[in-house]
Amino acid sequence: MYPRLPWIAAALTSVLGLGLLAAGRSDGSGARPAAVPAAGSPAPELTNGSWLNSDRPLRLRELRGRVVLLNFWVFTCYNCTNTVPSLVEFDHRYRDRGLTLIGIHTPEFPPYAGEHDKGNLSRALAQYGIGYPNAQDNDSRTWNAYGIRYWPSFVLIDKQGVIRYTGYGEFHLDDAHFRTWDARIRELLAE
Amino acid sequence: MRRSVTVLVLAVAAACRSVPFRVEAEHGRPTSRLRLVAAPGARINARLKPALELMDGTVLRFDSPHRTADSAYFADAPTTERALPEEAHRGVVRASVCPSDEKICRSYELAVRW
Repeated sequence: MYPRLPWIAAALTSVLGLGLLAAGRSDGSGARPAAVPAAGSPAPELTNGSWLNSDRPLRLRELRGRVVLLNFWVFTCYNCTNTVPSLVEFDHRYRDRGLTLIGIHTPEFPPYAGEHDKGNLSRALAQYGIGYPNAQDNDSRTWNAYGIRYWPSFVLIDKQGVIRYTGYGEFHLDDAHFRTWDARIRELLAE
Repeated sequence: MRRSVTVLVLAVAAACRSVPFRVEAEHGRPTSRLRLVAAPGARINARLKPALELMDGTVLRFDSPHRTADSAYFADAPTTERALPEEAHRGVVRASVCPSDEKICRSYELAVRW
């Protein structure tokens, strides 16, 4: 409660928005993605240096012959963590059949919010049972390279390293979007 | 009073363009309190508390004890309060907003002065 301050009534609500700095995703550097790679385009290489659930940084060129599903997420995003069970299921179903699922963990806020901290991310992976590799995308380099705008987002890459499908938004085990992504993964695995 | 109302209208107009929240100030002595009010259909992410970044680098976080049942979003307008000199009444509000019908989150920044 905001106590005993009669002056409040006379001085209510006077914030002026000086101007819109950015609407939608704003990375720390203020840089905007130059272009969004479309389906049919070669997938931009991953260049992140800090990884969890992997003993070394992963590079797409080393994953030729496998289907790769990138999940852009952050552990502070409820829509993202709600989707994790579906991604864990994909990993269980298809890892041995040629799918590599990779989390691209891109913070929303500057470091003061704790999203950049590797220990926090490690605890989130454990909390949500995530066993697939995750890159710390703390400088948004991969987010920007793929022209991502929303959490969560998804990019499905075929065995030749070509982007085939992109999308965004929360989904759940066995809902329509889950089945769509499941079908797409199976399609690319069969090629 | 008229001036305050005019300023509020301008702020709302700016917010309506694309930022799904507005910022309201309650001026007091010695503190000022800011409230972050979500637009209809927008939900402010409570897992990532909104921030007011002042020009001197100070970061104030908005908060509220009232959350949605899943604890993911604020159920009412989060606030932040601090005693600040007049010249410090400007900065950038940063918030993660998740429209209920889109199942995504986006980050927004809004420069403010009050």
